Amino acid sequence: MFDVGVFLNGILEILKVVPSTLLLAVIILLLAIMLGSIIHLIVQHKVPVLSQLIVVLQSFLRGTPNVVLLYFMFAALPELLTIITGSLGIPFDANKINPVFIVIFTFSITLSVFQSEIIRGAILSVDKGQIEAAHALGYSFWQTFTKVIFPQALIEAFPDFMNSLLLVIKGLSLAYLFTVMDILGQAKLLGGYTQRYLEAFAAAALIYWLLCIVLTKFANKVEFKMREGFH
Amino acid sequence: MNIGYMIEVFPKLLATLPITLLIIIVSAILGLLLSIGVTYLRLKNLKILGPFLEMYVSFMRSTPILIQLFLVFYGLPVLMRSLGFNMDFGAITSCIVALIVYNGAYLSEILRPAYLAVEKGQHEAADSLGYTPFEKFRKVILPQLTPIALPGLGNAVVYLVHDTSLIFTIGVVDIMGQAKLILANNYGENKIEMYLTIALLYWLVCLVSDRTIKLLEHFTYLKKIERKSKFNKSKVNKEPVSIQ
Repeated sequence: MFDVGVFLNGILEILKVVPSTLLLAVIILLLAIMLGSIIHLIVQHKVPVLSQLIVVLQSFLRGTPNVVLLYFMFAALPELLTIITGSLGIPFDANKINPVFIVIFTFSITLSVFQSEIIRGAILSVDKGQIEAAHALGYSFWQTFTKVIFPQALIEAFPDFMNSLLLVIKGLSLAYLFTVMDILGQAKLLGGYTQRYLEAFAAAALIYWLLCIVLTKFANKVEFKMREGFH
Repeated sequence: MNIGYMIEVFPKLLATLPITLLIIIVSAILGLLLSIGVTYLRLKNLKILGPFLEMYVSFMRSTPILIQLFLVFYGLPVLMRSLGFNMDFGAITSCIVALIVYNGAYLSEILRPAYLAVEKGQHEAADSLGYTPFEKFRKVILPQLTPIALPGLGNAVVYLVHDTSLIFTIGVVDIMGQAKLILANNYGENKIEMYLTIALLYWLVCLVSDRTIKLLEHFTYLKKIERKSKFNKSKVNKEPVSIQ
């Protein structure tokens, strides 16, 4: 039956890995936003070959599950790195690369195409009159971007970015398959240790739930503050 | 890259596709039915049941599907035993139950805004015309709700396809499970080709389901109006010619 003691102990044990999971998720999100901005620039300026490639990549990444991509990257990346470092003559064993880096790499790439859509939408949502007003005031292109477009686009994009952060936190539950310890990995470890999987998973589920509620509340507060600041 | 191996392994992976498709179709249909019930009850703003439904939706949306699969797989037998039923559940049943319960919450979050997006005046107009509640829903609300909800439902189907790729973790031999078996027999050779083939297979499944939803969108009233207005426009453009 359900053992409450194990459950409570599980919560305490799993809480220890929450900060590292959050840190990992934030790193992935920031990298994905950076990549997404680059992708947005490529698509917007219609760079010949790259923009067509990105359309295909977008469809491919939308169509394939994260697990498959993770397995693929774990098989392909070390070999690719071995070829590159081998041809350059750098003594580096790619098979000993830390799995965390591969997880970060894979999630950033899968997320980046969606971030580029978010960025596009946010920039389009800025009123054209605002840009015209900035031009009328004699702002340079860079000034227009940093002082007019960026602050307004950030407010529009912020809820979507937070949504993506929650998606990453949930997606990172796959990382336990590759020995990267996150909330679910810790729960699985604990379940094996105490032979009580149900309690451990229930504790992990509770922590995910609380984490999502807290982050959503936090995001709403920040968004409200940001909107208030401009009126 | 060994393309020959990819072609060789493709039929073996394709042979397990029916299991994935079965799980997708069953949990999509039953999940949609459950979500319709959940949406109906949530819209009624029930005093006692309401908060519980909100909790259910919030819980399902904020925990990863992997943990829900594990919870159902390990928890359902315990729950059944404590209720007095001595049943044994297979992994496939657990998957289907988990995905139905998840989709019941997820889809209701798509259907509820779609319902609320239908203007209040439409309800009032239907009421003043003396429609019964069922008639009102079928003739006024549903045709307006569908085009709003369909894109969201299409996304949900794609996510469902993604979620079914996780069922190998509880021991179902689906595409990923089959791949693991083949790799174990091969001493882990040709991993890259194997996973690339699987990725392409999933891509194909998602493209097909996307197309199906696009096809359904073609039958909604918005498209009908579009087609009619195009037809009328072409008639209007021709009229002056006929006068001359």
